[in-house]
Amino acid sequence: MKSLFQADNRVRDEHDNDSLTSGAQTIAHTGPFTDRAISLIPLIAGLAVTFAALILDFTGSKLSFRGGLLIAGVILFFIGLYLYPTKKHHRAIVNIIFLFPLLFCFVVTVIIPFGLGLFYSTTDWNGIRMTKFTGLGNYITMFKEQSFLWSLVLTVLFVIVNMVLVNVIGLSLAVLCTSKMKSVGFFRASFFIPNLIGGIVLGYIWQFIFNNVVLKWTFETFGYNSSMLSKYNTGFLAIIIVYIWQYAGYIMMIYITGLTTVPSDVIEASAIDGATAVQTFFRIKLPMIASTITVCTFLTLQSAFKQFDVNMALTNGTGSVTFLGQYLSNGTQMLALNIYNTAITKNNYSMGQAKAVLFFIILSIVSMLQVHISNKREVEM
Amino acid sequence: MRAKVVSAVMACLMASSLVACGSSSTETTAAGTSAAKESGGASSGKSIRLVNGKIEVDSQLKKLAEMYEKESGVHVEIESMGGGVDIQGELKAYYQSDNMPDIFVCGGAADFDNWDGLLQDMSDQAWTSDTEAAYKDGDSVIGFPYTTEAVGLAYNADILEKAGVDPKSITGPESMKKAFETLDSKKDELGLTAVIGYFAEPVNLYWSTGNHLFANYLDSGLARDDSTYIDMLNDGGKIDDNRFADFATMVELFNKYSDPQLLVSGTYDQQILNFASGKYAFVTQGSWIGATMTGDDAEAYKSAGNFKCGMIPYAFEEGIDTILTNSPSWWAVYKDGDVQDAEAFLQWLTTAPAQEVLVNEAGFISPYKSCTYVASDPFAATISDYTAAGKTSAWHWLNMKDGYAQNYTGQVFADFAAGSMDKDTFISTFKQVTASAYAG
Repeated sequence: MKSLFQADNRVRDEHDNDSLTSGAQTIAHTGPFTDRAISLIPLIAGLAVTFAALILDFTGSKLSFRGGLLIAGVILFFIGLYLYPTKKHHRAIVNIIFLFPLLFCFVVTVIIPFGLGLFYSTTDWNGIRMTKFTGLGNYITMFKEQSFLWSLVLTVLFVIVNMVLVNVIGLSLAVLCTSKMKSVGFFRASFFIPNLIGGIVLGYIWQFIFNNVVLKWTFETFGYNSSMLSKYNTGFLAIIIVYIWQYAGYIMMIYITGLTTVPSDVIEASAIDGATAVQTFFRIKLPMIASTITVCTFLTLQSAFKQFDVNMALTNGTGSVTFLGQYLSNGTQMLALNIYNTAITKNNYSMGQAKAVLFFIILSIVSMLQVHISNKREVEM
Repeated sequence: MRAKVVSAVMACLMASSLVACGSSSTETTAAGTSAAKESGGASSGKSIRLVNGKIEVDSQLKKLAEMYEKESGVHVEIESMGGGVDIQGELKAYYQSDNMPDIFVCGGAADFDNWDGLLQDMSDQAWTSDTEAAYKDGDSVIGFPYTTEAVGLAYNADILEKAGVDPKSITGPESMKKAFETLDSKKDELGLTAVIGYFAEPVNLYWSTGNHLFANYLDSGLARDDSTYIDMLNDGGKIDDNRFADFATMVELFNKYSDPQLLVSGTYDQQILNFASGKYAFVTQGSWIGATMTGDDAEAYKSAGNFKCGMIPYAFEEGIDTILTNSPSWWAVYKDGDVQDAEAFLQWLTTAPAQEVLVNEAGFISPYKSCTYVASDPFAATISDYTAAGKTSAWHWLNMKDGYAQNYTGQVFADFAAGSMDKDTFISTFKQVTASAYAG
């Protein structure tokens, strides 16, 4: 390890020497003043052009060349920056130049829309224009809205139920599919395939099944003439069933990978010690795949939280429920769908945005928790 | 420690991309594309774009666009949306990316309010004097009507005749009940599955109950400009107790005599197919099903003998004698688009050659007085009769709050149909739901 670092340092030293000597040569040829001028001209020109383009843009100018102007300005600026005669910051400048394209994309596609989203959540924006600021009004109304609170409760419930069921079922399928059965490959593939079908398509397929096949069966057996999807509790159950059907195969694949990495010598040793299959599973395999369990738990947690497509295609949030003493008509509507409906069908974009911000906060807490826990566990391993 | 912080920040940013999805626009991109569009538009000659909300007439509109291009040299691009696409949401995205069409569809007061100040006043156009269905905001005309649709209790005339029930005799709740009872007792000999094809499925068909059926509470029997009940509703969600109780009694009747296979979990296709096959005497849909009956379900309709259809008023109170007809949506012209060419195109649509395509091929019922074509649609004759007799009411449900049917009342109708509520609970729940819809 140490020698590697030394080698690396040596390379770095040589490189620095190189740039030093070449720098010295250029100084000898052109002198420090001209050198600085060469770099400063494009640097300043680039800045000026960029700002001009931005000003044109923000004033809503109709000049169509301002996009090109902006790009030219930025490129000029970086040429100037690159040519700037400095030994001390050369490395930093090169780093910035290489990082810039990625950072720029990230800022344009994530940071700016995120900032705008935060901004819009404090206004009465309707997707077209805003007329006034409402401050925290949207956030306060949000928590007074029973239907939103219900969506929140329902989502948490959905996440907990699914986190447990998907993992248990996924793990049992993985155990089955790693056993010495015939045609294991076929079973693996068929359990995994539902995950390849899009949620909307899947939702409509299952809607048909629930509304026709299951309905016919319940009608004949119990004389119950409304489908599972028409009541909030059975509808919720239906979404869970479809979600497990879709996601358990995926989780199973990850568990299979985990189970196959359990060293066979440990299993062999346990077999020699006389461990039964059940003992081997709970005492040997399960602790060995602890990190896989963490990964899978958070995968299911996050994806269950963001559940949208199956929810939308299957019930679209319908089903009546009495919650906090009030009749609500969004009995199976989960958080993501609630946000979508608030913005789109109720035409209240700013409120939808405020709810999305809350959604973000919840998800980032979950993500940070995940990072924290998996870091800790990795240390233990 | 540092790695930890970095990974936490990264996780945070990843999650933030989620919220970012919610807000679709940035100032820079919006302005950037407008420039591109300006220059593109100038170089490629005259072209206008129309966003159509009736995907079923896409090919007919494209044919019209071709005809118009031959005549005037202006290219009309038809962009059809439908089948569950949220058109207003889509249009907002277009607006944010400065990609607005010159003509686009608007479906009622809420839609027009969204675009307030961005639409062209067309009151100086010649067609405005030829129709009463234009959408007006004060004195300015901002919506171009292109078809008329009617909501009434549609019936199978042949079956009623065989059963000896005169549709004209149904003038109130008593006679409606009697007619239903008569039909129910003769179900087997008439080959009926159920008296009425009514259903209240809340996921895909909330609009049938929440909008069209509820529209009858708002308008049935009233003069076209009478806005008593919609004004009450929009004033904090108030509902008239007596009128709504009568309306609820009618819904209860429908629940009782409907097809149990259909009632809670049916589909639109199933409903229309069964009606077209002569399995229901009545169906709770509007005139638009005519196109489905003679199109997709033509075979079933033919084997049922291409029976005559008609409509009666939803007479939930004695003396209600109107069906509801209206333009279901309008085309509006975007102020900052190519106004002149857009207006010229709309004016051309009201001329005879264009109306011929709209009526005979698209199956539209023309809202223009000068139009002499009559659609071959099974319901066209009934609508003309009611219109001629002046027995029509307007569609004030178009002025209801956004998402009222979809997010609130559709579910209540479904619960009532499923039997988990009785009539009184239905009424009280409906009122409570309405109040909360208008509060939030």
